[in-house]
Amino acid sequence: MPEVHQFFQQLINGIALGGVYALIALGYTMVYGIIELINFAHGDVYTLGSYFSLSILALIPLSKYTHGWELWLIAIAVIVLAALLCGIVGVLIERLAYRRLRNAPRLAPLITAIGVSLILENIMQIWKGTSEVSFPQFLPDHVHVVAGVGFHDRAVLVVVVSLVAMAALNMLVFRTKLGTAMRATAQDRDAAQLMGININSTIAWTFFIGAALAGVAGFISGIYYGTTFFLNGYQAGLKAFTAAVLGGIGNITGAMLGGFLIGIVEAMTSQYISDQWTTVVVFSILILILVFRPSGLLGEQVPVKV
Amino acid sequence: MRCYIIARYVSIAAVVALTSAALAGCTGNAPSGTSGGGSVVRIGSDLPVSGGDASDGVPTANGVKLAVIDANKRHLIPGFTIVASIVDDAVNGVHNPSQGAKNIQAFASDSAVLGVVGPFNSNVAKAEIPLSNSLGIALVSPANTNPDLTKGPLAAQLRTTNPNDITYFRVCTTDDIQGPAGADYAAQVVKLKRAYVLDDNETYGKGVADQWAAQFQKDGGTVLGHDHITKGQQDFHALLTRAASLSPDVVFYGGTTSTGGGLVRKQMADAGLGNIAYFGADGVRNDQFLTDAGAAANGSYATVATVNATKIPAAQTFLKEYQAQFGVPVGSYSANGYVAAMTIIEATAAAMKDTSGALPTRAQVLDQLRSGKVHHSIIGDFSFDANGDTTNKIISIYGVRNGGWVFLSQKNYAKLSPR
Repeated sequence: MPEVHQFFQQLINGIALGGVYALIALGYTMVYGIIELINFAHGDVYTLGSYFSLSILALIPLSKYTHGWELWLIAIAVIVLAALLCGIVGVLIERLAYRRLRNAPRLAPLITAIGVSLILENIMQIWKGTSEVSFPQFLPDHVHVVAGVGFHDRAVLVVVVSLVAMAALNMLVFRTKLGTAMRATAQDRDAAQLMGININSTIAWTFFIGAALAGVAGFISGIYYGTTFFLNGYQAGLKAFTAAVLGGIGNITGAMLGGFLIGIVEAMTSQYISDQWTTVVVFSILILILVFRPSGLLGEQVPVKV
Repeated sequence: MRCYIIARYVSIAAVVALTSAALAGCTGNAPSGTSGGGSVVRIGSDLPVSGGDASDGVPTANGVKLAVIDANKRHLIPGFTIVASIVDDAVNGVHNPSQGAKNIQAFASDSAVLGVVGPFNSNVAKAEIPLSNSLGIALVSPANTNPDLTKGPLAAQLRTTNPNDITYFRVCTTDDIQGPAGADYAAQVVKLKRAYVLDDNETYGKGVADQWAAQFQKDGGTVLGHDHITKGQQDFHALLTRAASLSPDVVFYGGTTSTGGGLVRKQMADAGLGNIAYFGADGVRNDQFLTDAGAAANGSYATVATVNATKIPAAQTFLKEYQAQFGVPVGSYSANGYVAAMTIIEATAAAMKDTSGALPTRAQVLDQLRSGKVHHSIIGDFSFDANGDTTNKIISIYGVRNGGWVFLSQKNYAKLSPR
């Protein structure tokens, strides 16, 4: 395979991987933007999204449906349901674990977040066991070859779904009343409250949306890899967090960009250095960013406390 | 105010429920069995019996259980009831050296345990052998294949407390035979020429991958590259895309299913390597591999460092009993689990001849295991050599056909010196 084809092939691998990271990174960045909490349980909500999708798919007699369009409709329904369930879990986590600690020293909610992460991991372990769980590959999956570079429908699905979800999020944040409330709450919670914004419900909606996006990521990664594992969210969560920091924590466009960049960096490291160095390279980027450009590529978007 | 209080209790109740659920997931690591003392002898079994490793560990532990049932039926230790004490060394679904070490310490503190069957994985053995050596408790592995556990300077480093005391034995052969045997089969029988080698960077995986690669080159094959995967890795697309650009006709994977063996096979298809061969060793010859790899599993091969029990007349009763007891066919190392437990039981029985019916000490059991006497077992006659290795050096080879593992051939390497 010519060198240039190889590069583009890896670029596709990287973008597909990055789409998943980007969707998870959005949840980190939205929550951080609004209450300055690094929600470490977020990676596990992503895995929960895979597990919800699995359980929903188990209820559908997939073999009865043979037409491509029927299967795609099922896929859309499962994505919506999984996102909804994850969103509810996100709201519950905020209500039960974080709301009381909103004005506590910042270390307290951080430790709570780690605790919630462990609780979710244990629940998933009890639910589906500690083995890899197969994810039904029910969608039609053709290989396309364009200019010598091959890609699967599944990879296209990952990229399309993540781009659509991101576009929808952007609309929501910048074009709707809720989005305005979210941005106002992020800028100055007290002033927003004085303007008549319900802080609690705005923050709850932020958790709902972030967790729902993680649920979408959980579904598409299940389709993309064909398997899922109860601890997957741990490493994926850390890498998505790196993506959020890379793009500028609190910055929604930054999180998307960061996610795709981290995915591409991983694929290129594997191609041109060695696969065992990918994790090292990703976390070295995290450290370098924190040291030399703490506000990330596109700049932080957090309240400026005067 | 009332709402507030209710909300408060609801959240406390939720937290309590979640925590207790979480704690429930952590049980199962304590040694089980009936109450101690009295006329009970316990055979410890330290194997990974949960998660991705369960399809290796459970069939092996079943072998141990069956040995105990048989030994009780035949009154091999007169006056005592033998109990199998099965513990798990997997944490989060993957074999874990520190959990293994904890298990050995727990067994050592129970005076009714005279010997332990296990472990399954070589990195776990590395953590357990020093403890077995310093605590003086026999460890008989059904499945560890890394040569450095018994032979050479690295093995000596594992028994620094009592350098001259062998306390670790194994009933399977080693990777300096298994790796080359697999490479010979790949090069000479399947006629493969260009290999891309992967391993999981563990004691076992890296060791067997190096041995396989070296012999594959001696057999005239080319090793195009050798890369390592990392713990918890889920995405192998980039790695396999790179491998695909070198047009290999086989990917060798050194490691276990739980460290990624099945996922690598599954994703090979995505990288355009779905139609080439996949070679592994005993770490992937299990049902979990078939589950993880799905339809992509076909065309895979794996070696196992012991005989196929179905080919041995002496094992036929064992195979029938196993099927009757557990309702499934044996795993790669079920017969070895049975034999490992039997060697401890027989050593205990032999030691009791000197103690006039009293329970022997662990040292007396160890002396019997070190005596070098021949064991007539269901996997053939063998004895333990001066290092604790079996003299039985048979490699069997399996392949995946129509979604299931089938036996292809086996070869006895006992006459040949390790290469």
